[in-house]
Amino acid sequence: MIRGVRTRAHLLALPATLVFVVFSLVPLLSVLRFATWRWSGTTDPLPVGAANVLRLLSDEALWASLGTTAMFAAMALPAFLTLSLVIALAIEGVRYERAIKALLFAPGLITVGGSAIAWYLLYNPDFGLIPELTGLVLPWTSQPWAALFYVVLFTLWQQTGYGVLVTSAALRGIPREVKEAASVDGATRGRGAAPDRVADARPTMLFLTIIGTVFSLQSYTAVYLLTRGGPFGSTRVLGYYLYETAFERYQLGYGAAITLFVLVITLLVAYLQARVLARRGASEATT
Amino acid sequence: VIAMRLVTAAFAAFVALPLLWLVYAAFIPAEALVRANLATFGFSLENFAALRGTGLWRVDGGVVLRHRPGGRRPAGLRLGAAYAIRNGLRLLALVMLLLALPSELLLVPLYRQLQTMALIDTLGALVVPFLASPLIVFLLLQGLRRVPWEVIEAARLDGAGEVAIVRRIVAPILRPELTASAVLAFAAHWNLVLYPRIMTTEPYGRAGLPHRAAARPRRSSGGCWAPRRWSPACPLIVLYLSSSRSASSRSSSPGSAREPPRPRRSPQRVRGKDGPPP
Repeated sequence: MIRGVRTRAHLLALPATLVFVVFSLVPLLSVLRFATWRWSGTTDPLPVGAANVLRLLSDEALWASLGTTAMFAAMALPAFLTLSLVIALAIEGVRYERAIKALLFAPGLITVGGSAIAWYLLYNPDFGLIPELTGLVLPWTSQPWAALFYVVLFTLWQQTGYGVLVTSAALRGIPREVKEAASVDGATRGRGAAPDRVADARPTMLFLTIIGTVFSLQSYTAVYLLTRGGPFGSTRVLGYYLYETAFERYQLGYGAAITLFVLVITLLVAYLQARVLARRGASEATT
Repeated sequence: VIAMRLVTAAFAAFVALPLLWLVYAAFIPAEALVRANLATFGFSLENFAALRGTGLWRVDGGVVLRHRPGGRRPAGLRLGAAYAIRNGLRLLALVMLLLALPSELLLVPLYRQLQTMALIDTLGALVVPFLASPLIVFLLLQGLRRVPWEVIEAARLDGAGEVAIVRRIVAPILRPELTASAVLAFAAHWNLVLYPRIMTTEPYGRAGLPHRAAARPRRSSGGCWAPRRWSPACPLIVLYLSSSRSASSRSSSPGSAREPPRPRRSPQRVRGKDGPPP
């Protein structure tokens, strides 16, 4: 009888599984086939064997974009994690906690196109509001370092609210007994409590690290809207390079090969994620 | 603590500035934008007047209705999958794999898949692939793990069918998660930029996803972009605020196990309609 109940419960997953398989899994597996084509998207595909994959090895722009992605992640990820934790700790239990959380989460709800335009008009070195009012200029239209920094700032502006929400929820989920034990041991909000809370929030920070790494790999929308990969390709992250190759140069076959390349990197990250989670599960089981 | 609060205040100001500017830019005279003289502080409603002929309300309203956060079918699909996984279906590995995949990986192969299914340039290309979201399934599964399973077992003993359990017991318990995940799913869908640009051509830009406004602002278009972009976000923000209030009131209640809601119908009615006799 239990088996019958379970089978009926499992049937409820059928529609979602169908969508996953048809629109995610099958296309993902098809990449292997598409990577052997020369295909513009409008003409019939022409099989070219391993030519696209071999081209990856000698494609300097691809390796440069991998470096840019790594640089972007190195700049954005530590700032994202630190801000999420610091802000979650600072606003915990204060009177305006909900208002601050809502404010920080709001950029994620505003249409990203509109946000990008607002940023463009605020920080444009030539006629932006901030340079005009304060004289402070971030030369993101001409200097490569400034352009990457600008995209990182925009990404932090958009995503930190999510990090704060997740961290805050984790801090709230810490059992009351643990908090009481800490206060009995003499920890106050100002002394001793913060390091303990940081340790408590470690699993969440781990989760945010993994999610942040994946976000870094798919940061192409901000690049597309703000800098279009420029100046001089300094903000051309992997995702944007893939879009540019496949849908602006119409080399969809080679785009599929780049997809394979990104997939390998992503699987490496996922493998590390699985190992860390497994280790965490084992340590929890022993305690 | 003071240092942390200073950082928070500074970051809150950094976040608020573009948002305030986005709202305020709707009221500056269009001429200020045309002349690239943004520091001209004036007040005008001409940008709103310029919206009149653009068909914005029809287009954006249509999208909100089509992909409304409370849409039952997508929520049902996702909740059904999460419930099946909670009941032992080995689908979590696939969900985690899809969750970890950057979305751009699917741009090329999904284009081909939609082309094969004759969905390119149709509304289906914008809707159907998003009916099931791995992130939402994962979030709902986390919520389901906190549901006391005795309630489900008791309902089964009373003869309730699985669909009835999901609809009448699980869904009401998970209402905060369902609302929050619907807001997240809607915001993610609403913010798609490159995907609709690739999968649909200009006529279907009328489906309203906001990529058409994603291009850099043309000065000649005045300031009408600002009300265009923030006005559709207003319902989302209200929904987010209400869902966060509901979620926080639930999570702040003592104990992690949740109280099941009071059933709307008697067990006999539930049994009689949806489930087999005991």
